[in-house]
Amino acid sequence: MPAGSVVEVHDLTKSFGDVKAVDGVSFSVRKGEIYGLLGPNGAGKTTTIRMTIGIITPDRGEAYIMGYNVHKEPVKARSFIGVVPEISNPYVDLTVWENLMLIGKIYCIPKKIRIKRAKNLLKMFKIYEARNRKAKVLSKGTRRRLLLAMALMNDPDILFLDEPTSGLDVMSARMIRSLLLKLKAQGKTIILTTHNIDEAGMLCDRVAIMNRGKIIAKGTPEELKIRYGKYVRISLCFDREVDVKLIRKCFSSSHEVIVQGRRLAIICRSKDLRDVLEQIVQITKEFSLNIEELRASGLNFEDIFVRLVEGLE
Amino acid sequence: MRLEEIKQSLYRVWVLCLKDMKLYYFKGPTIVTGILMPLFVWLAFTVGRGFSFTEDLPALITLASFFVSSSITPIVMPWEARQKSLEMLLSKPVTVYTILLGTALASSLFGTFISFTLVTVGLLLNVVPCDLISLALGIAVSSLCHSFMGLVFSAIPSDVPADAVMLSSAVRLPLVFVSGIFVPIQSLPYYVKPIAFISPLTYFSDLIKKAYGRRSLLPQSIDVIALFLLTITFAVLALATNKRTLMRRL
Repeated sequence: MPAGSVVEVHDLTKSFGDVKAVDGVSFSVRKGEIYGLLGPNGAGKTTTIRMTIGIITPDRGEAYIMGYNVHKEPVKARSFIGVVPEISNPYVDLTVWENLMLIGKIYCIPKKIRIKRAKNLLKMFKIYEARNRKAKVLSKGTRRRLLLAMALMNDPDILFLDEPTSGLDVMSARMIRSLLLKLKAQGKTIILTTHNIDEAGMLCDRVAIMNRGKIIAKGTPEELKIRYGKYVRISLCFDREVDVKLIRKCFSSSHEVIVQGRRLAIICRSKDLRDVLEQIVQITKEFSLNIEELRASGLNFEDIFVRLVEGLE
Repeated sequence: MRLEEIKQSLYRVWVLCLKDMKLYYFKGPTIVTGILMPLFVWLAFTVGRGFSFTEDLPALITLASFFVSSSITPIVMPWEARQKSLEMLLSKPVTVYTILLGTALASSLFGTFISFTLVTVGLLLNVVPCDLISLALGIAVSSLCHSFMGLVFSAIPSDVPADAVMLSSAVRLPLVFVSGIFVPIQSLPYYVKPIAFISPLTYFSDLIKKAYGRRSLLPQSIDVIALFLLTITFAVLALATNKRTLMRRL
């Protein structure tokens, strides 16, 4: 395992029947960073995480956590981690407190420490008042916070989160994001999967973009922006709605054109910028349109993600 | 594996056993399938046939131990998969074997508890066993055997507990009638007899009869050895099949 790396994944591959869910995925995560696995639904993110923590046995490849092979020494490897699976629940017939105590006992944490840690976590996640309530009466957001608290009961070095904010309201999602940044500041390593590009850009130090079971790009969000910096996004707003088909016809097929009501966005190569601007002027004359707003910028992270996933790169 | 790791693994089995007891026992379905069902089966065979409680207590203990120990184990895994708590648990430092052993232990302790409650009721009514050691050993081993047997049914790759219950009932109910509890094995048709000898209930029933001084079919040592072997067989089968189908539950 390379120095400084706490999670190491080599060539993980898994098929379900004829479907190759994950195909030769490799990555390593350094201590103290937030690493994001990004991809559309069905890209293989959850299967990758499940194999990395040893819940699923891969057809090929290996995963190491803190130097321990998760498939040969799963109990040892998992003692360093906290996990919040995407579709999971606490025990709904146990109270918030009982759920935390159960997890504390599974990690063999001594009683005094267990109680102290549970109290601190409940306060940190603002669910201390709900400690005697059964998990089944909690809202989705509160349940997710309880799952996070349960994942932190063993004070793990590494936290795995599968779609941590999926399906949550804005406030709960924001709270979880800010907690993740706090945990990173405490030196925890976090590995998360998400299909939310903004979230990844906001939280992750490095990302791996997955599609159809494969990693198609890796790096920091900034590195990816620079790597695909040969493209420019031109965004403009006309004074009235434009005909999508007519507008598309005006541009070369090598340019990506997005039309939404009065708004138009064109993604083109930097070297074609002059031609595209001339074409825009031509359109305004031809259709008697006024430009209310015009902006040219490098691609944002979402543009890069879409281009990668759609195979435009 | 170091001693400390073994101790921790055993402690985790115990923690999960307590969790199962808290979540699944002393609840409606357990009371019905585990306690009321054997009671009514027993009543159906004894009332109006000239039997008395004192005479037929061994049959009631046999039925109670069998039904109580094997009624919850089939549903724990499908239920936890359905509740989405199984994946949460599997992400902790436990293996699927730890989870299954916790479930089997909870079930067998519950079966043992109910059986000894009946033994105590018998003692109060002056039905005294003549071989307490065989009785205790038989109850303890067979409760474990029956709970592992129930666990085999939980391997059905479904998250619908009723599917496992249906399968387990389809096997458990016929066993009651071919294991010499009410109908002597000698009187069974020849094609049913082989089934009687692969049923753990046959040996347990025989052992309990002997412990209460009733006529038995096999020597005590054969009953004990058969129960041990069947327990190991069901345990291996339960652990292997559940591990095999685990992925399809997640």
